[in-house]
Amino acid sequence: MRVRITEYLDIDLERELWCCNRCGGDLISAREPYKRGCLLYERNPREIHQPISDHPVFNYSFDPDWVRIIEFYCPHCGVMMENEYLPPGHPLTNDIQPDIDALKRKHANGDAS
Amino acid sequence: MTSLRDQIKLHEGLVYDRHAYGKGPGWDPELIVEKAAKPSPIEAAGYDLLSDVELEIFYHKMLTIVEEAREVWQNLSISDIILAGDMSTAIFTPSGDLAVASTGIHFHALLNYAQSKFILKYYRDDPTVGLNEGDIFFFNNPLAGSTHAPDMFTAMPVFHEGELVAWAEVGGHQGDCGSVSPGGFNPYATSRFEEGFHMAGVKIGEKFRIRKDMLDYLCGSVRNPFVFAVELRSRVATCLRMRDRILREVERRGPAAVSGGLRRLIDRSSELASERLEQINDGIYRSILFNDTIGAEKGLVRIPVTVIKEGGEMTILVQGVSPPNGKGPVHATWHLVRASQAVYLFAYFFRGLMPNVGLFEPLTFLIEGPSVANSPEDVAHTEGTIISAAVVQCFHIIGSKMLFDSPFRENVSAPFSRNMVALVFYGSNLFGYRATGLTSTGNGAGQGARFDGDGEHSTGFYWASMTDAGEVEEFDARYPFTIIARGLLGTDYHGFGMYRGGSALIEVSMAYPNPVVMTSWGTSDVISHNPGLFGGYWGPPNPRLTITKNDALKLMAEGTLPELTHHSLAAEQRLDGEYAFESSSVNPKEFEVGDVFLCDTGSGGGYGDVLERDPESVMTDLREGMISADVVGRVYKVAWDEETLAVDYAATEALRSEERRARIARGKRFDDFIGGWLAQKPKEHLLTYYGDWPDPRVPGYDKPFWGEHD
Repeated sequence: MRVRITEYLDIDLERELWCCNRCGGDLISAREPYKRGCLLYERNPREIHQPISDHPVFNYSFDPDWVRIIEFYCPHCGVMMENEYLPPGHPLTNDIQPDIDALKRKHANGDAS
Repeated sequence: MTSLRDQIKLHEGLVYDRHAYGKGPGWDPELIVEKAAKPSPIEAAGYDLLSDVELEIFYHKMLTIVEEAREVWQNLSISDIILAGDMSTAIFTPSGDLAVASTGIHFHALLNYAQSKFILKYYRDDPTVGLNEGDIFFFNNPLAGSTHAPDMFTAMPVFHEGELVAWAEVGGHQGDCGSVSPGGFNPYATSRFEEGFHMAGVKIGEKFRIRKDMLDYLCGSVRNPFVFAVELRSRVATCLRMRDRILREVERRGPAAVSGGLRRLIDRSSELASERLEQINDGIYRSILFNDTIGAEKGLVRIPVTVIKEGGEMTILVQGVSPPNGKGPVHATWHLVRASQAVYLFAYFFRGLMPNVGLFEPLTFLIEGPSVANSPEDVAHTEGTIISAAVVQCFHIIGSKMLFDSPFRENVSAPFSRNMVALVFYGSNLFGYRATGLTSTGNGAGQGARFDGDGEHSTGFYWASMTDAGEVEEFDARYPFTIIARGLLGTDYHGFGMYRGGSALIEVSMAYPNPVVMTSWGTSDVISHNPGLFGGYWGPPNPRLTITKNDALKLMAEGTLPELTHHSLAAEQRLDGEYAFESSSVNPKEFEVGDVFLCDTGSGGGYGDVLERDPESVMTDLREGMISADVVGRVYKVAWDEETLAVDYAATEALRSEERRARIARGKRFDDFIGGWLAQKPKEHLLTYYGDWPDPRVPGYDKPFWGEHD
């Protein structure tokens, strides 16, 4: 049984796996951070948010000395599942750590939403 | 079985469930961290007097009282910030807990209890103070439970035949508090003693009247005495109206039924909050933001949030925060961080439930101190809302991830825009009296993109629903400046995504008809507090722009003033003049007549992958000037006819397929990526006030994910 957890993430409860909601491909164990099952790419934020003014610092874009974008892609279909804006080298965010056992109990009891 | 909460380890030697400062003259933090009080004798006596149906009717009656009070206050006040809706009116139990709140700044109402509880414990039986019918109390001291000194709270006890049956209270932002800087926001303050007057539960009136000596003292302490005096009187009049209405209900139902009914509303909210939590997946959720200023200096500051949801309870943990720096005013208090979460909880997470302190009963707040989120006593506090709002933004992202797989998916969205560059003006207005205060562009924040659609433009005040950015003509009359353009056009100035973020209200104002003193404060000059969700890109940073020695007045006289938008000023520089792009934190400075200022709160973050945005919506954004042609092709990968703006669907699909293949080609497996990523570090001068890198509280932290301390 698959449960949709976010816009791009499903959990296969029987196999306890994170899966891509778009292509159905497996990512990694649902007891691990799903980001370990993604492809990661570090991006200079100014590639997306190009400076609006010509000031070198205060230009309505992100300063790459302060922050970079990390994009997380599905390794099967390439959809961008999530991104993070972090100072260079800062540890990533394990943003969703579901209680898998509780989730299985909930669906076994048939009280899922 | 180990609970999820037990998996989280708190750092030794720091405090979490209380303030980082102790008791002082006029404040007792132990009272502030307490949950709702046990029912007092009159509350207990009346607790079961109303049937469930009567309780519902009673609630709506109380709600009409506070909503009417809101109207009364706004009709009497001449303070622009109150007129714009930066205020709240509320009814509290005899024990001092929030039971019924109007629309408005809910978190204000969640702070006002501090003075009632302090008065009840320390002043009621003190022969030099006492608590009597007709008393009027006032407080604004951040250590005693306020936000910051410009937020001021007024309370009146409601007695019936000598028995305390409720409290009528109002709270709202005031234009000035006697700080070193006009408006109260001093980005260079290093201690609370530079931030104006601090009053903690002071009796300023008796027998339903403000004492003349207290009024003179307060008005003599601020730069806008006329506005302040009218404003204070309007607060008292509002409390009196609530008192009258509450007493009518007492006459109808009896005092115990009213007091007990108010207390039961709190418990009912608590039960409903727990029931809602039970329907949401258990788990541990995290989000993190960074600030780029401490006020006077630039520097990275870390604000991580972890939420542990288990059954009908939820713990909000703010741990691994940068330490207090004592060099600026960006320091929050424990109670401010807790109360601020109402901004998200009441409007989104618990939407539809009665907004009172009962919604906080199933929640446990653990806020690490001493830190910038739970600061010590003598630091400056005025911009602590930057920290508490960062926690709110993180909580909003976390909440959306919790709610997606729940019956409450309709509440899933990226957060409101909150990239502050708050301009604070001081000078003489058209009426000739001195006025000071913030512009209300903050009340036109852009909404973050939603799970099923774009974020709305200029939705409201970050801190509250039901706010208004004010009429331009009103502002021209009341403030010492003139608004020369207002609009939504910030080209490429929002978060891109499957659904895009909403744009903030963008205002261009001018010093006119007199010179003004202007200071500004804020955050997000080079980073952002407007995150996207599920792969949506973030709303961009928002520094300050002023244009001096310009030709705007000349062009206005000629009738040739060009259209002034964010893009036409920041990018095209359509006015001739001296453009100053700088940090949002600048000390007070005099500006000449005709000088021009650009102000907004940034724009909301996007939702979802940009490659999934409907190409027709992309073209609509292009037509409306929301994005440039460059973004259409470079970010959204849409092919179109430049003359007709017709989408070429086949070419678009080819471009998007090519980009998906490119992602797979350039993306690295986790193990191949993480070593190189973690080997990087920001430049040392950015980390002066950060604490240890990368975890401010854990020297040598080397794990790939933050928050894993085992």
